[in-house]
Amino acid sequence: MSDRKYLVHPDRPEKIEYCKNCVAPSSSAIPLAFDEEGVCSGCRVSGQRDKVDWEDRKNRLARLLNRYRSKDGANYDCIIPVSGGKDSYFQTHVIKNIMGMNPLLVTYHGNNYTPTGLKNLRNMKEVFGVDHMFFTPSIHVLQTLNRMGMLMMGDMNWHAHCGIFTLPIRVALQFNVPLIIWGEHGFMDIGGMHSYNDFVEFTYRYRHEHLCRGYEWYDFLEAAPSYGESLEKKDLITWMYPSDEEIDRVGVRGIFISNYVPWEANVHGEMVKKEYGFLESEEPFERTYRRMSNLDDMHENGIHDYMKYIKFGYGRATDHTCKDIRAGKMTREEAIEIVRQRDHIKSKDLWRWLDYVGWTEEKFDQVADTFRDPRVWWKGQNGEWVKDNLWDE
Amino acid sequence: MQLRRLIPALFIQNGLIVRSEDFSIHQIIGNVVNEAARYNQWNVDELIYVDISRHQKYDARRDDHRISSFSSIEEIIQGISKVCFMPLTFGGGIRKIEDVDVRIRNGADKVILNTGAYETPELVEAIASKYGNQCCVISADYRMVDGSPMLFTNMGTRNTGVNVLDWIRRCETMGAGEIFLHAIDRDGKANGYDFETINRACEATRLPVIACGGAATIEDFIDVFLDTPASAIAAGNMFHFTEHSYPRAKRELKREKINVR
Repeated sequence: MSDRKYLVHPDRPEKIEYCKNCVAPSSSAIPLAFDEEGVCSGCRVSGQRDKVDWEDRKNRLARLLNRYRSKDGANYDCIIPVSGGKDSYFQTHVIKNIMGMNPLLVTYHGNNYTPTGLKNLRNMKEVFGVDHMFFTPSIHVLQTLNRMGMLMMGDMNWHAHCGIFTLPIRVALQFNVPLIIWGEHGFMDIGGMHSYNDFVEFTYRYRHEHLCRGYEWYDFLEAAPSYGESLEKKDLITWMYPSDEEIDRVGVRGIFISNYVPWEANVHGEMVKKEYGFLESEEPFERTYRRMSNLDDMHENGIHDYMKYIKFGYGRATDHTCKDIRAGKMTREEAIEIVRQRDHIKSKDLWRWLDYVGWTEEKFDQVADTFRDPRVWWKGQNGEWVKDNLWDE
Repeated sequence: MQLRRLIPALFIQNGLIVRSEDFSIHQIIGNVVNEAARYNQWNVDELIYVDISRHQKYDARRDDHRISSFSSIEEIIQGISKVCFMPLTFGGGIRKIEDVDVRIRNGADKVILNTGAYETPELVEAIASKYGNQCCVISADYRMVDGSPMLFTNMGTRNTGVNVLDWIRRCETMGAGEIFLHAIDRDGKANGYDFETINRACEATRLPVIACGGAATIEDFIDVFLDTPASAIAAGNMFHFTEHSYPRAKRELKREKINVR
């Protein structure tokens, strides 16, 4: 339990445990468990991939897709939510070019696209020859939700998590297209939340509890006055999840194709660069070494991720090295060095965000500090923040 | 004729819902209270929660979540009771009547026990006399050993050497109200229910039998209700993964003319 009280030197919280195979910490923001050998569920589930009969899975996918294919060509066969990232390219490649479906691409645009991310997104429509719906909520509302998200849960990007996982469902209802194709199940991929035998699908509870952290649009509406913000119900339509009755009416269902097609981001990344002209970030990121992940939102690899470090003591360099260790592309020692160099960096995109929402750096730091998890951080001899480190194991 | 029930069974480890496989692999699924709230929206017949924590340590792990952390099983039951308005059975770590009192006082309607009942049979009698037979559900966890279903205790780790069918008969005489027949070998394997043992258990007792272990699809529920006289079916993992899994299952069961609510 955490009563949000910080321990001070010489006391300290219970030691953080790290996976013996990768570098995932027990303070993981996503559900992650360690087995008796000290190996995390992310590594264990990733190891299952080699035992899956992928030919059988592909046949299952083909059968499933055929059930949803428009009989007379008068409607889309499915919806693919896309950010324009390498995974979006891979999803569309599989569904349109391999399986022969006619998808409608749907994008939630949270007004923070990187120039390269935007180029990649625009390129999709042309290289795949598909229809694409591109949606941006009001900038004023997005700025408000950025500030409130940061104050309410230490995450300016709540609007994006919620928007990405709400807008496509609303479009599915509006267009009467029941099948939504998601890429990988993020929490299964990093944390090993489910087994490959589960054929896990998209659910409201996963979205509400894990992706939106238990907050909905009405929590923002209710809280706005206490933060000095002004929001009306009509401002928040984008984030309103449809009722069970509406979902049932159309029979909306979201599958993750990582259950049907082997998912290896590094391989996909190279393929989509070569085949479809996908571009890596021209500029390196400060908090991760990968140049082809999370290109859409300029703060996703930056200050949004820095908040994960502030809260839980680790960041995207840890996540990315975990994936690359499991894929056999990196040793644990190499990963530790990368984590040591990057996880703590306060990235320079902060200045853009501060300008965007009208905050000072002092205010940002002050708010950020209130979200430090006492399971991870304690106060050192001189009142400074201290935490366990991977390299001190 | 009595309505047959479909019951989500949820396993709690250190304060979080886990996906269980073979009683030994546990992956974290999420928050106990959120899960109960969703099942309440789905209007489920009843819920069974079993706390399989090895240590008395409860933590929801994140403070930036709308549902804040909790530190005891009492807080967890209270949290569930606030959002869930169906019969609630709570189990795990029940060794004495005071453990039962805590669970009932905080909102549980029934308790479910395995090791406690085996090691202290008089506890079953005590629960029955204090709260009524219907309050006491016995979790008869078994593995197939040399072709016989044997009762296991201590979270599936200890073979008692007792045939589970004999144990069920004894539980009935001790005053239990219901049998939760749990096939450990099938836990989380999605390989279908153990029809033979379910049928034999139903023959061995007049108590309602809840069959658990092996569910993969809604067809598995239909088969159990068509091919065995089980009063209820419980399933864990599969309810977590697909949207509207419970209402869809109910609809399919009704379509097969199975007498469910």
